[in-house]
Amino acid sequence: MTEAIIPGAAAVLPPAADPTAPLSERKQARRENWRLIRRRPGFIVGLIISLFWVLCAILGTHIAPKSPTKFLAKPNISPNGAFWFGTDKLGRDIFARVLVGAREVLVVAPVAALLGVIGGTLLGLLMGYKGGLVDSVLSRLVEAVLAMPTILIALLAVTTLGKSRFVVICTVAALFVPIVSRTVRAAVLAERNLDYVTSAKLRGESTMFIVGREILPNVLGPIIVETTVRIGYAIFTVAGLAFLGAGPEQGSPDWGAQVNEARQSLNGGIWWPTVFPALAIASLVIAVNLIADSIQSVLEA
Amino acid sequence: MQPALDVRDLEVAYTVRGIPRAVLRGVTFEVAPGEAFGLVGESGCGKSTTAYAALRYLPRNGAITAGQVLVDGKDITGMDAETLRRFRAREASMVYQDPGQALNPSLRIGRQLIESFTLLGQSKSEAAESALRALRRVHIAAPSSVMDRYPHQLSGGMLQRVVIAMALACNPKLLVLDEPTTGLDATVEAEVLELVKELRRETGAAVLMIAHNLGIIRDMCERVGVMYAGKIVEHGPAGAVFDHPQHPYTVGLLRSLPRRGARKHQRQLATIPGTLPLIGSILPTCVFVDRCPLADETCRTVEPPITDLGGGRWTRCHYPERIGELAAPEPSVDIAMLAPSAAGDGLLELSQVSKTFRQRGADIPALVDVELRLAEGETLGLVGESGSGKSTLAKTILGIESRDEGGTVALDGKAVAGSTMARSADEKRAVQMVFQNPDSALNRAWSVRRILTRAVRKLTGVKGEAANTRVEQLAAHLRLTPRHLDLKPRQLSGGLKQRVAIARAFAGDPRIVVCDEPTSALDVSVQAAILNLLADLQAEQRTSYVFITHDMGVVRYLADRIAVMYLGRIQELGPTDEVFNGPNHPYTEALLSAVPSVDGQTRERIVLSGEVPTPANPPAGCVFHPRCHRMIQGVCDVAEPPLVEVRPGHSMRCHIPIEDLARLQQADTLGVGA
Repeated sequence: MTEAIIPGAAAVLPPAADPTAPLSERKQARRENWRLIRRRPGFIVGLIISLFWVLCAILGTHIAPKSPTKFLAKPNISPNGAFWFGTDKLGRDIFARVLVGAREVLVVAPVAALLGVIGGTLLGLLMGYKGGLVDSVLSRLVEAVLAMPTILIALLAVTTLGKSRFVVICTVAALFVPIVSRTVRAAVLAERNLDYVTSAKLRGESTMFIVGREILPNVLGPIIVETTVRIGYAIFTVAGLAFLGAGPEQGSPDWGAQVNEARQSLNGGIWWPTVFPALAIASLVIAVNLIADSIQSVLEA
Repeated sequence: MQPALDVRDLEVAYTVRGIPRAVLRGVTFEVAPGEAFGLVGESGCGKSTTAYAALRYLPRNGAITAGQVLVDGKDITGMDAETLRRFRAREASMVYQDPGQALNPSLRIGRQLIESFTLLGQSKSEAAESALRALRRVHIAAPSSVMDRYPHQLSGGMLQRVVIAMALACNPKLLVLDEPTTGLDATVEAEVLELVKELRRETGAAVLMIAHNLGIIRDMCERVGVMYAGKIVEHGPAGAVFDHPQHPYTVGLLRSLPRRGARKHQRQLATIPGTLPLIGSILPTCVFVDRCPLADETCRTVEPPITDLGGGRWTRCHYPERIGELAAPEPSVDIAMLAPSAAGDGLLELSQVSKTFRQRGADIPALVDVELRLAEGETLGLVGESGSGKSTLAKTILGIESRDEGGTVALDGKAVAGSTMARSADEKRAVQMVFQNPDSALNRAWSVRRILTRAVRKLTGVKGEAANTRVEQLAAHLRLTPRHLDLKPRQLSGGLKQRVAIARAFAGDPRIVVCDEPTSALDVSVQAAILNLLADLQAEQRTSYVFITHDMGVVRYLADRIAVMYLGRIQELGPTDEVFNGPNHPYTEALLSAVPSVDGQTRERIVLSGEVPTPANPPAGCVFHPRCHRMIQGVCDVAEPPLVEVRPGHSMRCHIPIEDLARLQQADTLGVGA
């Protein structure tokens, strides 16, 4: 952003101290941020694609032109006028299955991401504010976890604890906690040494109050950005787990599971049962990341 | 003769949110070869923009919209990129405020310095030679070892010298200095300024200097331009402008400075009412009209002409002959500013207070055996270079840092715990703090109302409606309007933010308020308002202040007593007038002499050689002896002098008897006069 660079003086920009300035300037600032976000083409594109998939997830079978689970025709028909995306090896309509498949991923991924962000924020606040030994020990632990490949741990957890939706959510959330905690820790470290924290200590505030009420509101920006980024990763991870068989049971119209089911037929030149669900995953991940990028560039400008 | 820099009707606008906003509104001045020209004014008046525009270093959203800038006769406003690059490399240089940002942190000093010579076409080996010579020229004692170091390994003063060496690499015809000593200690500042003076004589470069400190400009520059809202409103020889200002703004600016030994008992500081117009606002006539006590209908309808006053002086005012009407401010408080109660009944007493930090297994004594008393309603000024222990002492009093075992801090004769957390609610309430930087001190996510309400509730225990009433009273008392209460800190100007911070400190009627350079980030007219406010509050509530500052004028105005610190030790402690007028400790003497005064230099500068030693390894004997200009061989380097009372209420830590100090200092002052 070029707007803030005026040499020599921070006071050049209107400090809005004159009595004519309207009261709602805080709201205006928020509206201004929102306006800047909306102006970004990436955000618009991302939002349209995401909203489309959300709509599919909510309405599901109501908008699918054909049944996603019935065997409607011969297997492996290539895309045509009747079956836009063709049929799979059991003769089910791939187009309907892709539309309906949004539901699983759009329930699991955001919930997992949100839980991960909440956990990571708590851990990050603790590490960043306490510092010292607590921070050193937890930081090493976090690094140790981060050194392991995400998907392998997830797979291990899901295979040992069961494939239920609950387990998938908890696993993905737990994997995100250390990642988020590092971001939050860094933000808290920058806040911790500011004088308003000293001032709070001087009037005898509790640690809970200082962390929760004084510091947390000032690190919300990075947390919001992290949340959107994490949703993108969660979609990918959840779809990946489903592909590896650690997700919804075989045959259910989940994108990851569909890709897995159909991948053997790829050798025979039957590309459509794999490509369309894969494209669906990619489009959603990209869309969410476009939104995340837009928010990030405005909030962190 | 052709001027080295000739700025004609320069207009600059910054595009903010798509709208071009005028910042410079027709700036005209010249700098002759070898001359130094200063621009002064408060932040936002356009002085830095003028400096950047003089070398066409404007940020991407800034553009020269009208006028010309001629450097050595060449118009740089029309130059193409390549010519401009060559011009900047060979003919003009700039030194910025923060030397740390002008250097690449990941490259050695030598490499960066050599580069500025290879750019001029020198070979590698020639450039290395030149680099060493350049460092010697700026009085860096061990140039080859400095070449091998990284920027973060050098002190601020050293860095600024390196930057000056780089700037002088091309023997520029024009040197632009933008606040070159802001952020440096007074003693280091004095050294850097002496260096610039000397190099100017040597190279004959013309200098354009920007500073908010009027004393520096008077000391360094022959001529000066006073800027306001993008225009030069007064222009002339520095001494004449500062001694007999002819524009209401200059008058206001000079009046708001605590100078000529002004004290809070004697008069209030003048302030300039109102605020600087926002950049880009439309100002058809006199730019100062809204804040000018002389303004009338003519000022609002007719643009003031440039009134030539002779001798190169002019002012942009309709009524320069009415300047005399600007009366000195009336005191609004009872000037019999309640004298602090007799030093006998100490409100705060420190005895044997030390603080030792442990770093990598080594003990670093930051405070050594501090003995202090503070009476009710008294202001104690703490002065000294950075690293002298001023802040550590303040933190120890507040309980942010726990003192070492053995020392005591007593409030009303009762010892208090070392750490804030272990103190009782009343003890917490009694000692509060005003910080240097209100941006850091106020929670930016909170509204002013929430900041104050929380402080009132927590410190006084008042709740509900009573707390709201108290907040409103408090705000009104600090001259904040109810409208301000619903804003967030970043929507307030620097002065208003500091008022909020002061209001918060006063929420629980504290007995002692520690002020850590509360006005150093503010413009002088705002500083004056804040200092007046602090004096008023003290007069009403008999609050005691511990006031940390680098600004000798400020501390003289506000403090009743002054403690001068060096390497964690109190070197001198006495009544303000005695400390200032002397005879004083040689360190105090040097500190005072380093400060450039807007009223002209009265005594010769004592340049302290070398840097402040590290507290981890203090010099033997008197800790100040390696830098002391009055050091006695065989005495000062052997034993540390005790802090003894040399006159009633005035203590000093020096081997030289006070009578001898008086004689020596008398002789030196006379020497300058002769």
